[in-house]
Amino acid sequence: MRAETLKGHLDGILLAVLDPGPRHGYAIMEALRTRSGGQVDLPTGTVYPALHRLERAGLVQASWSADGGRRRRVYQLTPAGRRALDTERSTWRDFSTAVTALLQPAPSPVSSS
Amino acid sequence: MSRQRPPKPGAGPAVEGYLAEVTARLPGPARARAGIVAELRSGLLDATDAHRSAGLPTAQATLTAIREFGDPVQVAVGFRAEIAACLARRVAVTLLVTGPLVGLLWIATAAASRLGIPLAPPWEWAGLSPGLRVSIYLVAGAAGITAWAALFGIATTGRLTRWLPARPRRAPTAAAVAGFGAVSADGLGLALLAAELAVGPGRLSPVPAAAAAVASVARMVLARRAARQCLAIRASLT
Repeated sequence: MRAETLKGHLDGILLAVLDPGPRHGYAIMEALRTRSGGQVDLPTGTVYPALHRLERAGLVQASWSADGGRRRRVYQLTPAGRRALDTERSTWRDFSTAVTALLQPAPSPVSSS
Repeated sequence: MSRQRPPKPGAGPAVEGYLAEVTARLPGPARARAGIVAELRSGLLDATDAHRSAGLPTAQATLTAIREFGDPVQVAVGFRAEIAACLARRVAVTLLVTGPLVGLLWIATAAASRLGIPLAPPWEWAGLSPGLRVSIYLVAGAAGITAWAALFGIATTGRLTRWLPARPRRAPTAAAVAGFGAVSADGLGLALLAAELAVGPGRLSPVPAAAAAVASVARMVLARRAARQCLAIRASLT
């Protein structure tokens, strides 16, 4: 799945990936790939600016941590991020229900008088 | 491409070359870029490790990691808007904080000197010459524009980002307006001071006047530089 297809949903997807707990940039990428069954495979470099934007918006919090001699920037959801994720989930459920219904093959037309 | 920084331990020339390509396309102050590059480097090393653990030889693991990160131009483009927003926010906060300080120095100068500016609302300034009155209104207007533009810049780069449509040029534009507003306010203040010195040098209280002048000159220089930086970064956004 390419970046254009995901446009508008990347923020929600990133928040969802951080839902189970804090992760650093590459771990977020791996989680995106694994949780989507390999369907979501974005250029890693484009995920970092999105994370920075979410941080500026107060939806995630980032801090540097040194683990095994390598400094990594670790991201975690803020309470506002958790609320935004809930909203994103219910919006997506409504949207997908509606679109699924619309994309169903239409029942054969009923003759009208 | 020439390397600008010595490779960090653990990051080979391929990774550093990639990072240099990203860095070369990032606008703004070096400090803002350093954090981004450090984060990308650790991500690339993590990716390399992951591919090595999966059985690839080091060189191939590195190349695969770099390929995964994508076109350095695209990565830099993605970060430009973020750097612009951070710069605009910092400029706006600085202008908003320093404005009242410089303003207070000017008010102290007016109060300590015998200029005939009473510490009263402007409409009660009966004895003030029309020139001085207009100049003071102009300074106040420029300071007001600065404050509003700075507040707008701060508001649109923080929490509001969640609900606002993404317009990367909005914040640097506001910060540049605030910067040039501050330049105008300080410039007008200094012009008033020069006019006053020419008319009646004895009337000014030297210490607060000198402090206000130094503060305004410093702020003018810095605000002008910051505003131009904001315009430059604004131009780099697509």
